[in-house]
Amino acid sequence: MDDSTPPPAGRQSWAGLRRQAADYGSTWLVLFLAVMLAAQVSLLWGLAAATAAGWSFLTVQRLRRERARADQAKCLVDEQLLQSQKLAALGKLSAGLAHEINNPLAIIRQEAEWLLFLCRQSDPLDMTEAISGLRQILKQVDRSREITTNLLNFARRQQPVIQAVDLNRLVADMVRLVAKEVEQRRISVITQAPPDLPVIKSDGPLLRQVILNLLNNAIQAIEQDGTITVVVQRAEPDAVLIQIKDTGCGISKEHLPHIFDPFFTTKPQGKGTGLGLSICHGIIERLGGTISVASEAGKGSTFTVKLPISLTPKEI
Amino acid sequence: METFRILIVDDEDDFREAIMKRLRARKMEVAGANSGPKALEMLDTEEFDVVVLDVKMPGMDGIETLRAIKQKKPLVEVIMLTGHASVESGIQGMQLGAFDYVMKPVALDDLMDKLRQAYERRVLQLEYGRKNL
Repeated sequence: MDDSTPPPAGRQSWAGLRRQAADYGSTWLVLFLAVMLAAQVSLLWGLAAATAAGWSFLTVQRLRRERARADQAKCLVDEQLLQSQKLAALGKLSAGLAHEINNPLAIIRQEAEWLLFLCRQSDPLDMTEAISGLRQILKQVDRSREITTNLLNFARRQQPVIQAVDLNRLVADMVRLVAKEVEQRRISVITQAPPDLPVIKSDGPLLRQVILNLLNNAIQAIEQDGTITVVVQRAEPDAVLIQIKDTGCGISKEHLPHIFDPFFTTKPQGKGTGLGLSICHGIIERLGGTISVASEAGKGSTFTVKLPISLTPKEI
Repeated sequence: METFRILIVDDEDDFREAIMKRLRARKMEVAGANSGPKALEMLDTEEFDVVVLDVKMPGMDGIETLRAIKQKKPLVEVIMLTGHASVESGIQGMQLGAFDYVMKPVALDDLMDKLRQAYERRVLQLEYGRKNL
């Protein structure tokens, strides 16, 4: 074969072939380079993605750990805050009390010293002076007694005050207080109360607080369009039942056991203190009754309060 | 029936005067205050058994006044008076130790019943205080 021998395929010269070959070569090279580049890019991307994934995994882990730590710290801080608030209140109370009692004490001491001086000095005792001194002492003792009465009453305020309570009327009053709110949300309230319900012996203001809280919870659970049914009825020989049933969102199974725990809330932060139901629970317990809940998520909840017809006053 | 001292706190003069007149007709001892601070001032110098307190007042509102009254005189019973029912203020008021809520317009018999019950509660608490000294 010589240079002039035409190629078997086509009619190109050797030079042309070589050019073509070179072209092919360069094409291959370009292709090769492109593939390499692509590989490298994808490798880079892969690496980057893997790094990012790993990093984010680590970050999530770290965030979780940090959150757990923060939660723990928050619990601790909350507890410490509560404790320090208690101490602050106690400190304030003690300071106020000391001040209030020290004033009459100072006057009593002054008067007593003056009387002692009079007794020692003037031979015939100046009776008018002495009597005025003794009167002042009595007055200051009464003043101190008033302070301690107030203090005792303050402690007493936490205890129920037992009075005759017309439960039907109390419930009707509280329903009236939420009337505007339910109307705006197109919620209807049905009250079923027997007219012959006995007057019970309990603490009215505390019961009002519970009923209002339960009604408010029912409204929050329904949000819009629904029905709240309030049933008051006689139960067992010496008890009454108040049931507040709503057609709201209900409470999930895992939340149900915690519903009366203090600070337990499913509302977003700042929307609820999580204290409403725990306060209700505390009140009903102090009133010698029970409070319970039955609920199905998505269908609604029923809160049942059971109260003794007659609660005898307890001492502190 | 036993008379007791009532303080009506409402910024609406006409309403306050009218209710004072009607309570006086029922032989009640009644005084009036047109604002929260005025009521607190009166509680400092005079003895009252039950305060009827309007929730909505300019400046110091009923809830703030209730808080101050309960700090100053925890045994004075307070009946909240409200023109428009608000659940939130209801819950707040009851938590702060209000005796009850009465809606405007007020049925006088209804208010009288609540005043009597509030007074009875105060007497019970005062008795308890005396027994424990």
